[in-house]
Amino acid sequence: MKDLRIDSVKRKQKVKLTVNGRKINAYEGETVLAALIAAGYKTLKKNPVSEEPRGALCGMGVCFECTMAIDGVPNVRACMTEVQEGMNIEFDE
Amino acid sequence: MSNLKNHYHVLIIGSGFSGMAAASFLADYDLNILLLDENIHIGGQLLRRIPEKLAEDSPHPPEKIKKIGYNFVEKVKEKKIDLLNKTVLMGVYENNKVLVERDRKETFTFTYDFLLFATGARERYLPFKGWTLPGVYSTGMLQVLMKSWGVLPAKKMLIAGSGLFLFAAAYEFLKNGGELQGIMEQSPFGNKIKFLPQVFHQFPKFTDGGRYLSKIYSSGVPVKYRRRVLEARGDKQLEEVVVGKVDRKGSLIKGTEKTYSTKALAVGYGFVPSIEAPQLAGCELEYSQQKGGWTVKVNDRMETSVENILAAGEVTGVGGAHKSLNEGKIAASTILEKWGLQSEAFPPKKVKKLQKKRKHHLSFVRCFNSLYKVKPESILEIPDETIVCRCESIDMKQIKEAVGMGCADPNALKISTRCAMGKCQGRTCAPVIYDILQILCRKTPQEIGLFSVRPPFKPISIHALKNFSQ
Repeated sequence: MKDLRIDSVKRKQKVKLTVNGRKINAYEGETVLAALIAAGYKTLKKNPVSEEPRGALCGMGVCFECTMAIDGVPNVRACMTEVQEGMNIEFDE
Repeated sequence: MSNLKNHYHVLIIGSGFSGMAAASFLADYDLNILLLDENIHIGGQLLRRIPEKLAEDSPHPPEKIKKIGYNFVEKVKEKKIDLLNKTVLMGVYENNKVLVERDRKETFTFTYDFLLFATGARERYLPFKGWTLPGVYSTGMLQVLMKSWGVLPAKKMLIAGSGLFLFAAAYEFLKNGGELQGIMEQSPFGNKIKFLPQVFHQFPKFTDGGRYLSKIYSSGVPVKYRRRVLEARGDKQLEEVVVGKVDRKGSLIKGTEKTYSTKALAVGYGFVPSIEAPQLAGCELEYSQQKGGWTVKVNDRMETSVENILAAGEVTGVGGAHKSLNEGKIAASTILEKWGLQSEAFPPKKVKKLQKKRKHHLSFVRCFNSLYKVKPESILEIPDETIVCRCESIDMKQIKEAVGMGCADPNALKISTRCAMGKCQGRTCAPVIYDILQILCRKTPQEIGLFSVRPPFKPISIHALKNFSQ
């Protein structure tokens, strides 16, 4: 998958995340949502009512469309959570 | 967070311009202040920037108002203010008490002498068929991704909606090397021209606007006016966007539909004040389309109808950083005066000046929000199969049927359809539902009323509730 990070931003510390069993690179200080979008993930859940695929809409904590299980805690907003080395992230792709 | 107090003289909800300005001025006095914010970094939406932890800050010289803002961020960190980030206000109760959750790990209650709501605004949406497809983002999300995290949602995209913020987002996207397929603006070009003298009259925003437009036009990006997004299509993710031309009334002109192949679309339709917390606290609200919809009613000292509760910034009317900053100062001066503190920073003459400035800001507010006026046609032409409430997947047909059965107010509609009952608690769909009800029932916003708000008004973790500390 293509990395969508802007080149001119000189990043500091790399971290590794596990996303649905796959390893991806992220950078310290990023949110989980930013790391997922950068890695090319768009679909972040199935709507519990319609089961349609959904992705983030607002990116700032309002819409709750990016809630997912982070380190085993369900319903965490990816956009409001900073990445950490070894973080385990699970959602319905 | 071991040094937190149970009681604060001043509790401030929101660390945008108004919250920071108030906190910063109040911190010079012998007052215990707590400043809460839901975000990881303080500063609110406008001051978003790449965090130090992530990377070296890119060397773009910030505009004057942002410089002022960043200075406040430093001041707030240096001064003796208790700061709680990642903290969500969950409830406001009797006897000056609030419940908050921090980082989904713990909950606290605090009591206060003065409470200042500086809760800001959020984006307004206009639903269209397929807007729930992954790949459809708000222009706010586009900005957050670029400004806070240095990420593009896609290399190539389309921007649509209405208002000047489309152009700000477009400028940023182009600057960061994105390929913009076009800007589809719903209002006619003339609206912008009408608006410019007002902006020029009051703020240096004119130069920003000029910079955006010249970059966009020189990049050869097609800018189309009187265009509405009709549909987002795709199997599991966005693949195509259908855009149509609208007439002066905002009605779709049949046969003008055009399909764009794209994997990302950002939409923006202006802003609405985030009134839920003050609403829960019992503050009187007032509706004004020209202020962005439902706002908290305040007097010229930023006092709400509830004693010792104040409100400042976007929540009293959407109008930008200058207004928020000024109102934060006024709120601080009111609290100092009510506390009986002699204030060197705010002699009566200075307060009068700030209040006068606020009048100018309010005239800008009226002009600014008139750009986002929702035309009845754009609501009436929403197709039946369009999702309105995303969380509960309630479509326009279900809403129309419920209205047909007599649900003429938001709460009746909520009970009947489950709209606004999902995770976001109506933060995304409520303003649209108010517009739909107004138009379908031919009633005023005041007659329609609002969804009721109850604590906890955002999803709270049971784990955090278990770790409740007084």
